[in-house]
Amino acid sequence: MRSVGVVVILAVAIALSISMLIARDAVSTKINTVRASTGTTITVSPKGFFGFQGGGTALTTTQINGLLSLPNVTAVQESLSEQLKSTQTSLISPTPAGQLGQQFGSSAGSSGGSSTSGSSSFTFTIPIRVIGTNSPGTAVVGGANGGGTEKLTSGKAFSPTSTSDVAVIGNTLATKNKLKVGSTFTAWNTKITVVGVFSAGSTFTDSNVLMPLATVQKLASASKQVTSATVVVNNINNVASVDRAVTKRLGSAADVTSTQATVQSELAPLNSVKTISTYTLIGSVIGAAIILLLSMLMIVRERRREVGVLKALGATNRSILTQFIAESTTFTVLGAVVGFVAGIAISSPITSALVSASSGSTPSSVGGFVRGSGGGPSFTGGGSGFTPPSGSFSRSGGGLRFGGINNTLTQIHTSAGWSTLAFAFIAALIIAALGSSVAAATIVRIRPAEVLRSE
Amino acid sequence: MLKVENLNKTFHTGAGDVHAVQNVTFSAADGEVVAIIGASGSGKSTLLSLLGLLDAPDRGSIDINGVQLANLDSAGRTKYRSTQVGFVFQQFNLIPNLTAKENVMLALEFARWPKEDRGQRAEEMLAMVGLDAGKADRRPAKLSGGEQQRVAIARAFAAEPQLILADEPTGSLDKSTGQKIVALLREAATKQKATVLVVTHDEKIAQQADRRLEIEDGVLKEIA
Ligand SMILES: Nc1ncnc2c1ncn2[C@@H]1O[C@H](COP(=O)(O)OP(=O)(O)OP(=O)(O)O)[C@@H](O)[C@H]1O
Ligand SMILES: [Mg+2]
Repeated sequence: MRSVGVVVILAVAIALSISMLIARDAVSTKINTVRASTGTTITVSPKGFFGFQGGGTALTTTQINGLLSLPNVTAVQESLSEQLKSTQTSLISPTPAGQLGQQFGSSAGSSGGSSTSGSSSFTFTIPIRVIGTNSPGTAVVGGANGGGTEKLTSGKAFSPTSTSDVAVIGNTLATKNKLKVGSTFTAWNTKITVVGVFSAGSTFTDSNVLMPLATVQKLASASKQVTSATVVVNNINNVASVDRAVTKRLGSAADVTSTQATVQSELAPLNSVKTISTYTLIGSVIGAAIILLLSMLMIVRERRREVGVLKALGATNRSILTQFIAESTTFTVLGAVVGFVAGIAISSPITSALVSASSGSTPSSVGGFVRGSGGGPSFTGGGSGFTPPSGSFSRSGGGLRFGGINNTLTQIHTSAGWSTLAFAFIAALIIAALGSSVAAATIVRIRPAEVLRSE
Repeated sequence: MLKVENLNKTFHTGAGDVHAVQNVTFSAADGEVVAIIGASGSGKSTLLSLLGLLDAPDRGSIDINGVQLANLDSAGRTKYRSTQVGFVFQQFNLIPNLTAKENVMLALEFARWPKEDRGQRAEEMLAMVGLDAGKADRRPAKLSGGEQQRVAIARAFAAEPQLILADEPTGSLDKSTGQKIVALLREAATKQKATVLVVTHDEKIAQQADRRLEIEDGVLKEIA
């Protein structure tokens, strides 16, 4: 009867350890997957910079280039966003003002900036957006603009360090202005040669002009200015530290956004599940060991007289020990087998329960993030829109993505691998050995002469 | 033949030294039943534990059939306990989760009796002590005190030991059962030519023995 109790308690402790082990494995795997999928880039933009409409004070090339010297930074991609008013260029925007006004009104009322439009008689020409970049050829268009990845449809890209008066233009703009590779247009009173045409799959992005960073800085009288930079970090594990270093270096001049940092906060519930399961795991293993030790002590003590009698009858210490070790091993093995099966059975529901309980504590932040930034998907994140795809997280893009991550956060697959089995086996073995040695120590010390004493 | 010479055992306790056994010298023949009487704390159990090698004397010698027990190594002492000595306790001390027969067989196992003979030997012993054949497969908890003590006697004599040490075997039994148990001990002693030492408080029981020894503060003397 007592033995049954010991086995049951042991099984519960082992089941708990196993399920915690599985939960921990599953959650760490998930955390690693999520972290790995979020890229290794950090976006830097001037404080308060608001892409399409500008604003804030631009950063300088000197500031940004300094970031290259930070440890673990492999590259810094810079861009300068400028607007060409109709008076500054021969280019005509493909988007009629009225149409754009309606678009703004319906999709992102607050960010359009042209809310006075709405009557088609109002003559307002949409400026052309020019992005000076030192990383052409990498995909330029981020989720911020609702577009896909930039692809050259004809021609070629300019070199990163080019200072020529050349441009790669979006194909919508090219069609509207009947431009092709080799054509020229004027901007800032300068003749610009089209060297390539790109497509990014959205009318808005395909109305943009890409030019060498140095050229735009020169022509737009924005010498050494940068409106956005993307810092590429060598290793996913260094993103957080580089993020801190960049923030420290640039101080209040810039908004530093690493997807990692945001993801890290999204992952906080998972991390806390990991911590909880680690502690519970340790606790239940120790608990199991203590239970077995105490029961062995209790059993040996209770059978002290029996041990004395066996010794008086001529049993060797070894034969008595063997019997007790066999008993404690039987307990442990039974408990381990029952606990292992039960642990695997309950690991999946326990993991889900833990994950949903922890993420349940921060649902508003997640939801709010998605709602708040998802409202104006076309424009709010424009400033950092033209960044490589690996770091294509503008605010809204990030929001949408995180929405996606969050949905999959609870989709954690639990599985018991060989390592789990090995753990259970070794843990049971160690616990049994501990229990046995405690029993052994007590048994050896029992003096057979004690049995002659009446209690 | 048991020969004890100048045996001494002192316990060093916090309250001072207790000379539980002092210069004890006596001998007993095969088949002889010797009663040891004495007040509580006079050293009776201590003397038995020295004779049964449950404890080691400080000084003195125990010789059984020409073998000096002091010369035995650890394996020799274990062998001595399992083959040369049988214990009968006041509390019976049967193994609770073994049946009567298994308890007897356990002693045979420790004495390394041939495996195939143990069952039959155990049944013979239980029959000799008068346990109903139907009760051989009962556990101790389902036997009366007298029946348990019969099983204990069967267990003590099973491996044909030279020496039986009985520490108040009748202490937990009523008078008539106690007398039957002592009669049984004497019968078995005669039959197996074993020396039986019976510790008792009971003068009547002591008178059933061949000889009586009295122990007082660890000092043993013969009662005429
Ligand atoms: N292990 C021990 N440690 C210390 N003192 C002990 C120990 N065993 C016995 N003694 C002491 O030795 C003396 C003799 O004890 P023993 O048990 O031999 O007496 P006894 O004659 O059997 O008494 P009883 O009739 O009450 O069983 C007592 O004073 C006892 O307290
Ligand atoms: Mg005593």
